[in-house]
Amino acid sequence: MTDEFVIVTQALSKSYGHSEAVRALDLSVGRGRITAFLGRNGAGKSTTIKMLLGMIRPTSGSGTVLGNVINDSKESVALRRRVAYVAEDKPLYGYMTVEQIVRFARSFYADWRIDSEKQLLRDCELPLRRKVKSLSKGMRTKLALLLAFARRPDLIILDEPSEGLDPVATEYLLQSLVARASEGSSVFFSSHQISEVERVADHVCILEKGALLMDASLDSLRESYRRIDLVFPALPAEREFRISGVQRIQTSGRQMSVFASNNADEVIERAHGLSVVSVNVTPIGLRDIFLETVKENERALV
Amino acid sequence: MALFFKLAPTSGQPLYLQLMQQIRHGAETGALLDGDQLPGIRTLAEELIVSPNTVAKAYSELEHEGLLELRQGSGAFICVKRRTQSLTDRVQASRRKLRDLIDQLREAGLLDEEIHRAFEAELTHPVLAVKKR
Amino acid sequence: MLWYKAWLETRARFLTCFATVVIFCTVFVHHALHVVCAESLSCSAGLWDPARQAEVYRLLFINQQFLVFMWILSVVLLGMGGIVREGAIGTAAPTLALPVSRARLQGVRVGMGVLQAIALAVVPWLSVASVSILAGRPILMRQVASYILLLVAGGMVYFAMSILISSLIPGEYTAPAVAFGIVILAAILFDEYLRGLNVWRLVTGDFSVDHTTYLLSRHLPWLGILASLTCALLMFFASILAVQRREF
Repeated sequence: MTDEFVIVTQALSKSYGHSEAVRALDLSVGRGRITAFLGRNGAGKSTTIKMLLGMIRPTSGSGTVLGNVINDSKESVALRRRVAYVAEDKPLYGYMTVEQIVRFARSFYADWRIDSEKQLLRDCELPLRRKVKSLSKGMRTKLALLLAFARRPDLIILDEPSEGLDPVATEYLLQSLVARASEGSSVFFSSHQISEVERVADHVCILEKGALLMDASLDSLRESYRRIDLVFPALPAEREFRISGVQRIQTSGRQMSVFASNNADEVIERAHGLSVVSVNVTPIGLRDIFLETVKENERALV
Repeated sequence: MALFFKLAPTSGQPLYLQLMQQIRHGAETGALLDGDQLPGIRTLAEELIVSPNTVAKAYSELEHEGLLELRQGSGAFICVKRRTQSLTDRVQASRRKLRDLIDQLREAGLLDEEIHRAFEAELTHPVLAVKKR
Repeated sequence: MLWYKAWLETRARFLTCFATVVIFCTVFVHHALHVVCAESLSCSAGLWDPARQAEVYRLLFINQQFLVFMWILSVVLLGMGGIVREGAIGTAAPTLALPVSRARLQGVRVGMGVLQAIALAVVPWLSVASVSILAGRPILMRQVASYILLLVAGGMVYFAMSILISSLIPGEYTAPAVAFGIVILAAILFDEYLRGLNVWRLVTGDFSVDHTTYLLSRHLPWLGILASLTCALLMFFASILAVQRREF
């Protein structure tokens, strides 16, 4: 049922000449969730988001946002009415004052909440009569986010929202994000700040070279990814541990370190069967999961 | 009523499970008493800066277990029933046993780190592995 | 509030151009009329010499020459900006994320510009008419209307060209350079080889003025005006297509 997902793409692709920015992307972002979009610079995250919002036309494939087809201009307008979007670098109209730009944004959306607007303006201490171009960078960022957070849209899309934010502003951003999510907005945001993603995201999608490498819930990643450090009296052959779920094995002397995306239990069982002397299991954080996933993809391509 | 919950996103355990444990721990140690009200989903999510789905799932699972009572519109309330009370007593007793064991191990010359790793290793041993809740 | 945004974006340019054309035309005609007065030695209303009428209308004709020059530069300037330029300076995202079609975005920009172009033609001429009346040299409103019509209807193509250029070329300085370049080139080339088709001469009234009375003929070059307006409309539609097809 389309209601289950706020964003669905089918084989969405975008090429510029010979280079493929996005390759046959099958993305599905669930409703009522906070989904993070991870990827290296140039992986295609912004391109994907722009295609979803009608700023770029896909080369092939299709997609829907909130049930609206993305490459139909009428439906694109309809979907944008229910989506709040803050682009990378959080652009604003420099020639407008804070008051003018808020009034301008407000006029387009039925889901605008005046009480939220007033609250946020107070919290951020934004000077109403000052022109945007004479605001400090921090204030401009807060204003750009305010224009999204003063609404109750069905979907919030943020492209690198915490970029350039100091830690206090970042906390405020995450708090506002969580507050909107609690009120029913689905959130889809791309980020390089893995620690923030780990805190607030329910779900993570990893994009690399235009293709989706991973689409998983953070909780399932937390439960299944394990690093198992083993010490043997005599190192067994690596192939003993090449079972499903094992992504990388490193050996040094009598030590073996296994990077497993799941099946850690079986690895340990095998280790015990091979007279392991010491077993040390540690969880793997999202940063390492991301790095390993990307590296494994590169190894696979070679 | 606010306890000091602290969730660790990199500890390898789903956040909702951590929250559940900390709430249970609160009930066990008496920091949360029968009838105490926990913050609403949105409030707690904003305070901890975690996804509201995490809080919602923790609350819902605890309601399943009987520790929480979710009243429509009012919030989440602790229900320490007698069954849970005996569980609390058992946990308290186990903690005392553990304390004694740890003291023994320390006297035997083991460092805290070594004791910790030993526990971890034994807990993950497949033969003794208990299916995670 | 798209109109409001369009106004804010063009306000400074418009007000500067507006002040320039109104002040220039008013002062020019006012001062020049008094020169005419001095020469005729009969400036009071009662002693107006009809034989000097032509001098007054010649003055208006000259005024139109100046006004056309300033008006064309103004509307070309006002045609700059828009979503493509926003793309170049990085503020296209908030505009494109709005729940409005690109056609509407462009339409509002064009609409605002057309209104401004009309104001830039009408107000100076009304001011000139007032000055003439005050100086005791009332002029036929029909003449004023003709000059305005020639300028707005015939000259709209310049604004349309500017809109089209700014919808095709993203550079902040490249677009106006090209637009002004086209104006100059067209003025020279058309005058050299296709004088009959030179819009500039059309709007200044060159093709319609009687060189004795300096009155604009009753028979304005309707075909030329229509052709010019049609070109303008085509360019407006082309600019909408250009904006719709563009990727940001």
